Amino acid sequence: MSVAGQASAPAGPVLQVEGLSVRFGGHLAVGDVSLSVHPGRISGLIGPNGAGKTTTFNAICGVTPPTAGRVLLDGEDVSRLGTHQRARRGIGRTFQRLEVFSSLSVADNVRVGLEIRASWSRRRRPAPQYLAAAAGLDPERIDSDAEVALIIERLGLARVADVPVGSLPTGQARKVELGRALAARPRVLLLDEPASGLDDLETHEFGGMLGDLASAGLGILLVEHDVALVMRVCADLSVLNFGQLIASGTPEEVQSNRAVLDAYRGGGDDVAAAAAATAAGVHLDPGQPGVGS
Amino acid sequence: MDKFLTFTIAGLSSAAIYAIAASGLVVTYTTSGIFNFAHGAFGMMAAFTYWQVNVAWGVPTIPAVILVVFIIAPLFGAVVERVIMRGIEGASDVVKIVVTVSLMVALLGLAQVIWPQNESRPVPAFFEGRFVEVLGVRVSWSRLLALVVAGLVAGGLRLLFTRTRLGISMRAVVDDRRLLQLNGGRPGRTAMLSWGLGAGLAAVSGVLYATEQTLSAVTLTLLVVNTYAVAVVGRLRSLPGAFLGAVILGLAQSYVTGYINPDLTVGPIALGNLAAALPAIMLFTVLLLQPEARLRSHSVGRPRAPVVVPSQTTAVLGGVALVLALAGIGALLAPADLILVTKGAGFALVTLSLVPLTGYAGQISLAQMSFVGIGAVAMATWGANGSPVAVAASVAVCAVIGAVVALPALRLSGIYLALATAAFALFCTAMFFNQQEIIPSGSVQVPPLSLGPFTADTDYRQLVLLAVLFALIGNLLVWLRRSAWGRRLTAMKDSPVACATLGLNLTSTKVGVFALSAAIAGAGGALAGRTFTADSFSLPASLPVTMLAVVGGIGSIAGAFIGGLLLGAIPIASTVFAANAIGVFRFVAIPVRDILSFTPGLMGISLGREPDGAAPQIAVGYRAVGRSVPALVVSVAGAVALWLAARTGVVTKWGFAAALLVFVVAAVPLLPLVLSPARPEDTAEPPRRLACGLWLALATLVAVAIPWADRIASNGLRVVLMVVAAALSARVGIGVLGVTPEQLRRPVPLSPDLVGVDRPMLRADAVEATRRMGLSEDDFEAEVAALASSTNGAPVGPVTVPR
Repeated sequence: MSVAGQASAPAGPVLQVEGLSVRFGGHLAVGDVSLSVHPGRISGLIGPNGAGKTTTFNAICGVTPPTAGRVLLDGEDVSRLGTHQRARRGIGRTFQRLEVFSSLSVADNVRVGLEIRASWSRRRRPAPQYLAAAAGLDPERIDSDAEVALIIERLGLARVADVPVGSLPTGQARKVELGRALAARPRVLLLDEPASGLDDLETHEFGGMLGDLASAGLGILLVEHDVALVMRVCADLSVLNFGQLIASGTPEEVQSNRAVLDAYRGGGDDVAAAAAATAAGVHLDPGQPGVGS
Repeated sequence: MDKFLTFTIAGLSSAAIYAIAASGLVVTYTTSGIFNFAHGAFGMMAAFTYWQVNVAWGVPTIPAVILVVFIIAPLFGAVVERVIMRGIEGASDVVKIVVTVSLMVALLGLAQVIWPQNESRPVPAFFEGRFVEVLGVRVSWSRLLALVVAGLVAGGLRLLFTRTRLGISMRAVVDDRRLLQLNGGRPGRTAMLSWGLGAGLAAVSGVLYATEQTLSAVTLTLLVVNTYAVAVVGRLRSLPGAFLGAVILGLAQSYVTGYINPDLTVGPIALGNLAAALPAIMLFTVLLLQPEARLRSHSVGRPRAPVVVPSQTTAVLGGVALVLALAGIGALLAPADLILVTKGAGFALVTLSLVPLTGYAGQISLAQMSFVGIGAVAMATWGANGSPVAVAASVAVCAVIGAVVALPALRLSGIYLALATAAFALFCTAMFFNQQEIIPSGSVQVPPLSLGPFTADTDYRQLVLLAVLFALIGNLLVWLRRSAWGRRLTAMKDSPVACATLGLNLTSTKVGVFALSAAIAGAGGALAGRTFTADSFSLPASLPVTMLAVVGGIGSIAGAFIGGLLLGAIPIASTVFAANAIGVFRFVAIPVRDILSFTPGLMGISLGREPDGAAPQIAVGYRAVGRSVPALVVSVAGAVALWLAARTGVVTKWGFAAALLVFVVAAVPLLPLVLSPARPEDTAEPPRRLACGLWLALATLVAVAIPWADRIASNGLRVVLMVVAAALSARVGIGVLGVTPEQLRRPVPLSPDLVGVDRPMLRADAVEATRRMGLSEDDFEAEVAALASSTNGAPVGPVTVPR
């Protein structure tokens, strides 16, 4: 089901996670997880609630210190760097629990992303191809109103550009987070449930936009509960359960993976297991319709 | 050896007291999430109450201890939680800190009113005259008692938190209050109990300290700094860590007292005060050793009111108006009043220094007067001829020191900066301002600025200089706020973690803001052109600055000015009313000066009722005044006219006070509506402007004309009646106008996502939702009618949204 049309993957992965573990006291939130994200490709990270997806994100971008493991960006070990230093090397992200600048307007949220980048980026990174170079963006100009306007327009936020983000509904606020992250021109983008709060039509459009971003060379790691979206856009999937990586491969492989099926069947709570299985794109019971598909 | 043992035992005994105090602090902090700066003040109140009960009323020791430690103090703690602290749950760090600091200042003021300082109050030690021999050293029973009590507290708390339901629910309440509630816990009751327990432990330490050392309100209140220096060893959360810290600090202080010759000097610094500076030294050492704080994503807090940033034009006009107004008023003032107003303008500059730090970046400093002091001393040392170069050097020194002080704390979360700055203030007082070599005979004369032909050598020139300075720095700050840097600060306040993931170095950004703030405060010292006593740079002097700046509305330049005026008004008022007392029912007469001593504290506590800021609420009404030029002109002209009338003796002092109150409370907030040519869009009929204007003028004139002094004997009654008159005039004014000031009526728009979570979904929300979705309201009305008929008119909602 995965979509062709994403650029053929260049040589190496942009982001590699090797043997990552995060322990909170006695609780192993993430155990020995390895995965990689390639430029021009969307990788999915799925699993039931509490499986450790957001913790993995936090460890990758340096918000939560990992207990063990390495994070490599373009082959460089960034595990010892702070959050802002990793961001400067090109890791961008959005948040499951919204982290918008709620007292600033939509345009200013994106502009802050741009301005923060301008404050540290002395040497300019290659221009962002992912937002349509055809729109006439000058890659050499770091701080430009045009870029803000373009990002807002591409995300369909032009109508609310001057509205404080605090008064927007969740779906739009998530788009603002995405726009802000894009303004910092990341090389790899971690998206934490970006489509929750969007309706079916918006989700469809959103999937198309993610495809566009990827085909322009951005590497994307996507955490998402919307199965249809994940199956449509992701080139490969990793499945987490109780902090362990239980499967990875193409969506088709994962869908028919015994380990995934067993893991979800093993859950004591039928409803939760069904929901989780649905999230992973697994149909336990022919009578159980998949959500969002 | 005997000497060593003696000092070890003394050190351990004070360590025991610190440990008991720190465990109370840790208990309240971990269970309520509020760091109680008033913890020392709780202990102080308990110690004085114990003195009152035991010594003054002659109640025997054991019943007195039981009454104070087990009944009065826990009740007091519980009441404080219920009345003040519950309101600030979920508020910003700044509000939490300001409220507890205000409580501390208010309690200190209250204690000084009830138990005036001019009397000595010895508290007898427990088991007086009983000693034991330990390895040949005589140790009093009371010292051993402290150790025993500390042991009991440690064991008791351990049992409480691991073995009892109550203790476990105390640990749960801080993790997730709502979750605890859903699981059948009672977070309200649990929080009250933990504050009661904390206050009880504060009382134990306060009484022990008073019997062992001295009963002094200030010393006991500031003991909180030693206490948290100790608690920081356990990251404010671990009891064993706090006990370890207590042993380190207790022993260190004792050995320093015992072994370091007080006449020893390092450069110009005598080491006599080293023991007092040790908590600060220890705090900074521990902070440096802590690993950088983890970024935490914030939970959904209360939505803040959108920030209104004035345009640069408004800021320039405001600055010019301020300079002209102060120059005009200053020219009319008698010399004694001029000195007070000049002082007030100086304070305004200091509160202004908090605008970038607290207002923009959401950080807090409790040491602004220390930076004023450093600026003042530097200027006195280098700039005897008033050279601007010396001013620049003094300001630069303050910026550098500010950055150095803030760096270790800013790596950690917001509360640590408040702790570190308070400790820094104590350190400066002990090791710098109270040093004979640095500030001889306890006062420093700052030379007036000399700029080409201009020398600020008279009070009037000084006032104009300060006004110009305030206007310039205010404009600079508005410019910064509107720049990319200002947006970044707002962003950082809203979501630090998002800023970090965009590549912003949070620590260096915050350090930069702190250095700017310290530099402005330093300029306030270097350009004060007056004599300071060393006392005015102390921690107790810095606290009201921060409190009133926040109360004044720290997000804006005008708010800082209001804060400065409040700060300046208190000494002015206590001079004006020096001989007056407010009589309550004619048998309790409290001197006004005493009331003023804890007014700043009460103002700060009021934030607890309105965590978004009592002042912004008030300021909302006045903000429109700043936007309307005619309203501004009439406001200023009215105030000046009243003041001139008072000055020339046309109206009495009381008539002036009453009229000013009516004018400021009732007339000024309505002026923009009365004078505005535009008609509010959502009103049925045009506002009755003329009638309202006449009413306001009439009310003010009546207030002038009432013979307050002759007809009403009690000062208290007069003040009450004035307030009533002002409130009534405002109410009637709004009624006559027919339009409420629009800002007072419109609530802060909540995120639609919260509807159904924070309150039931109302029909209005559903209508709003349809409007935003672009459905016509008519379709919706039909739906509602259908729904109402099927559900018998039950309210719409809660609606589950499918994923």
